[in-house]
Amino acid sequence: MKRNLLYLSIVIFLAVLAMSWVTHGTGVIRNDISRNIYIPNELTMPLQVKAAYNGRDMFFRYRWPARQPSIYHDMMKFEGGKWVRYGASVAGPQPQGIYEDRVTMLVDDGSVPEFARYGGYIAVGDRMRFFTNEAKAPEVRAHPYLGVKKKQVEVGKHLPATRRNINDWASVIPEDELAALRKGGYFLDLWHWRAHRSNPIDASDDQNVFDARYGDAGRGPFMDNWDPEKQTPRFMLDPQKNGGQAGLKWDDLIQRKLGFGDVYFISESNSVPFDAARGWKDGDTIPRRFLRAPDGSHGDINVVGKARWKDGFWDVILRRAMDTGNPADDKILVDKRVYNVGFSVHRDALGSRWHYVSLPFTLGLNRDADIAAARFDGNEPKWEQPWKEVTLFYPGQVSWPLLNSRKHAGAENIKQGVPVKYRHSEVQLAHYGVEVEFAEAVRRQWLLTLGGGVLLILGFGIALNGLLGRKGA
Amino acid sequence: MAPYHAVLVHFPEALLMTATLAIFIRAVSDAPLARTIDRALVPLLAIGVLSGVAAYAVGLMVWPWEAISATPLGRNHMLLASWTISYWALLLATRWIAGEAIWEGATRWVMAGLAFLGSGLLGITGTLGGHLVGNYTELSEVLRLFGWEVFTTYYVPDVTLLAIVVAAIVLAAIGFWGRRLAA
Repeated sequence: MKRNLLYLSIVIFLAVLAMSWVTHGTGVIRNDISRNIYIPNELTMPLQVKAAYNGRDMFFRYRWPARQPSIYHDMMKFEGGKWVRYGASVAGPQPQGIYEDRVTMLVDDGSVPEFARYGGYIAVGDRMRFFTNEAKAPEVRAHPYLGVKKKQVEVGKHLPATRRNINDWASVIPEDELAALRKGGYFLDLWHWRAHRSNPIDASDDQNVFDARYGDAGRGPFMDNWDPEKQTPRFMLDPQKNGGQAGLKWDDLIQRKLGFGDVYFISESNSVPFDAARGWKDGDTIPRRFLRAPDGSHGDINVVGKARWKDGFWDVILRRAMDTGNPADDKILVDKRVYNVGFSVHRDALGSRWHYVSLPFTLGLNRDADIAAARFDGNEPKWEQPWKEVTLFYPGQVSWPLLNSRKHAGAENIKQGVPVKYRHSEVQLAHYGVEVEFAEAVRRQWLLTLGGGVLLILGFGIALNGLLGRKGA
Repeated sequence: MAPYHAVLVHFPEALLMTATLAIFIRAVSDAPLARTIDRALVPLLAIGVLSGVAAYAVGLMVWPWEAISATPLGRNHMLLASWTISYWALLLATRWIAGEAIWEGATRWVMAGLAFLGSGLLGITGTLGGHLVGNYTELSEVLRLFGWEVFTTYYVPDVTLLAIVVAAIVLAAIGFWGRRLAA
């Protein structure tokens, strides 16, 4: 009898251990769009990068996998006599799949030293857009500098030294100090290619990150195609250039019928002023972003050839003058120098913070570096060098304030300047990023699991000692 | 406190691994040497568990609670350390209370199995600690193969917690029942 009970106890103990093993990690992490929480199915993805220069121009080539090209973005659909917007930034994937793919690259020349060690993490500040505790638009609009003067409506990427206190997005330092920082080169250059808002006209956005994310000086590659007073688009497709149609068909977009060879965008070359009296029907759709040739510093970057998705991969080549003549907006690239770069990709109709990011890498122009830019003669590189394989990861809601707080065991290492790569891998950071979004729930469940395990061992101990005989008993 | 923790953990690791070896030897042999080794088992386990408690206490002082309870690797290390010490304390109590009776019949194989499980817990605790200081074994790869990514916190859902509590109560009840049967 006692022996059977002993075996039963062992079976119960092992069965519960097995159940624990099979069910661990479940029950807590779930999407909650109301709290801006959406966890991508894949936490990491590959990106391939090549760089080349000829002394006059700098070229970058990016290649990454995507199940399908997302080339539609921000549309207005005619519904019941009104134009209704679809495809704005939302938490998680855009429900109709109308959100463009993107590749971005942050560049620094050493003027932002933390960037070389921590990459884009330094630009993720307090209460960022689409974080669970994001600062709401009215708060940001009311800020005398960011809102009133700079017309910001959300807390976007910004650099730590632009704030008195990194734990407070609103604590912007005085404007004369900002100007001095900027003059000293304290900003990150941001190359920003978009599959809808720039690619159809073979352009790329050229931006920078300082006290917020801004477009460089000049005209950007797109503007809003919306008249807020009339509540109508400003432009429609030119029927004479679009088979008699002044708009797109909503069903074509939903069924992804429109490809690179079709009209899926509106631009200077295929549009006319909007005609409200045209007899619009339900389902008629007009892109809400109007593409135009960029100029000035804003238009420094362009697409080489055609950036296309083919056989499951995007292949994008960007070109910019090494010296754009705009050192206040761009990091001027010089032969024999080393720069720091970081990459990100948006895909799967995900926008905003739902991107995959890289750790920082060095870029060498005829210097040893993680990414060696190949020097060539002529106008365009032959791309004979091997790809630099980069692992991108979902960063979650990890911010620079969090990383420097007591909640981060490595905060002291950051103070000492230990680079992120020394202690963390991309896979590790992806998992940490997810758990940060459920920090309190995971902590609670972990403590309960810890206590439950001890209780189980105690129960098993009582069983063992009650069932095993005693010497001399 | 990190260096002191690193020094202290060597004691339970060495002592409890030695205890595992002693249990295996005694499980497979009734020879005089095995019996002599067994007589050292209680002190070996006792010092191993006590040094484990000391290492655990010092380990709690390495990082603030806010930090250790916020990082998956820190949480996992603490979870496994808690279970490991509890588990080896159970083996100590069993050998102490039951005496040499644990080597009678098939129960010796039960002890061998429990020691094997305990050394596994100890090894996982150690490799998780190694991760925290950037110096770890490939054991974490094995755990990944078996379904646990060590960069994620080990926790179980409420239904499993309920099963654990029920199992603990049932096991304790079996133990008390078994004691009455013996009386």
